[in-house]
Amino acid sequence: MSGYVAVGWNRTKYIYDGILIAGVVTYIAAFMGIEAWLHPPKAQPEWIDLRIKALGTCAFLMLTIILSIGPLARLDPRFLPLLYNRRHFGVLMFLVAAVHAWSMVEWFWVQDALPSLVDEFTAWPNYLKFIGFPFKALGLVALFIFFLMASTSHDYWLAVLKPPVWKALHMAVYAAYGIVVIHVSLGAVQRDRGLFLPILLGTSLAIVAILHLIAGARGRPIDRGIAANSDGWIPIGPPRSIPDKGAKIVAAPGGERIAVFRDGNEIGAITNVCAHQNGPVGEGKIIDGLITCPWHGYQYQLKNGCAPPPFTEKLPTYRVRLKGGIVEVDPRALPAGTPASVKVPLKA
Amino acid sequence: MRRPHRKAHRMIWPVLALAVLFGFAMTLVLRPPAEPAPPPTQEQRR
Repeated sequence: MSGYVAVGWNRTKYIYDGILIAGVVTYIAAFMGIEAWLHPPKAQPEWIDLRIKALGTCAFLMLTIILSIGPLARLDPRFLPLLYNRRHFGVLMFLVAAVHAWSMVEWFWVQDALPSLVDEFTAWPNYLKFIGFPFKALGLVALFIFFLMASTSHDYWLAVLKPPVWKALHMAVYAAYGIVVIHVSLGAVQRDRGLFLPILLGTSLAIVAILHLIAGARGRPIDRGIAANSDGWIPIGPPRSIPDKGAKIVAAPGGERIAVFRDGNEIGAITNVCAHQNGPVGEGKIIDGLITCPWHGYQYQLKNGCAPPPFTEKLPTYRVRLKGGIVEVDPRALPAGTPASVKVPLKA
Repeated sequence: MRRPHRKAHRMIWPVLALAVLFGFAMTLVLRPPAEPAPPPTQEQRR
């Protein structure tokens, strides 16, 4: 738990959350309004059924957007602001999905049919079928995964579990997404004959899968690494090939990524892995003289990889040098916080 | 993200996408046909 500092609320977070909540309320109101106008519900269970559909499609759309934010931000930095508060997006999605599940229980309850719901879950032979599988059980499994993720989304749990474990736990969202697609396919798609749901599912699946595949392929060349010189140093290029206030990301074959930053004539190299959530520090910029992670704004000094006081995070640094007009980096990491930046002459 | 995390991403997504796409397609292929609309009653015919 040492080192945990609660991240305070700020104006950007309030705006982000305000837009999220307004979007959810608008979607649900519009969905229910249009559906009620087209097919007016006659009794209370039909109203609840309408609410189940509105909340279910809303949660699924939110999940699609949440899963698209990561690869979109890697492909185009303009999407980075969406990543900033993605955890709140996830928690709100869980709440919408939880009300969707509760509405389903309510649908049985108002008709004094709760035993039928229990029967659906305990019809064991149906678990061996494909069409006819108890799809509500799939929804429950996905909801449980979302609950685990929402309840551990706070930075407190990130500090307790440490970023690698926390990230691995949160990768369960991919499995949950697959489960949700099959939950809807075996449930509502079997009952409703319209095209809306198949199109919604197919489009979502195509967008999410293609974005992840493209983003993964885009990063592959960096991970292949650059062959080192005879003395083990990796050539980066002339100083000006590193964008001012930005970085070039490189890796030794089989090694972790290194971000080589330039701030004017000062060049320094740190690990590309942020101490907060393992974010790609090298995709960030130098703001107010500090390397700033693009994910959540964690900052580090170029000279030694240390966060500015009072923060205590430190990143491993790498030795850099200028040899024959080419910047080179030694891929053997120095202990976190070791000063290693150098000043180089800049040719016009 | 660290190298193992990226590697996991690159391995998981093609498999997950194909598995889910296959499951989704099968639910459409095996979907039972829609029930025919009930015939109109005598009263409706009048």
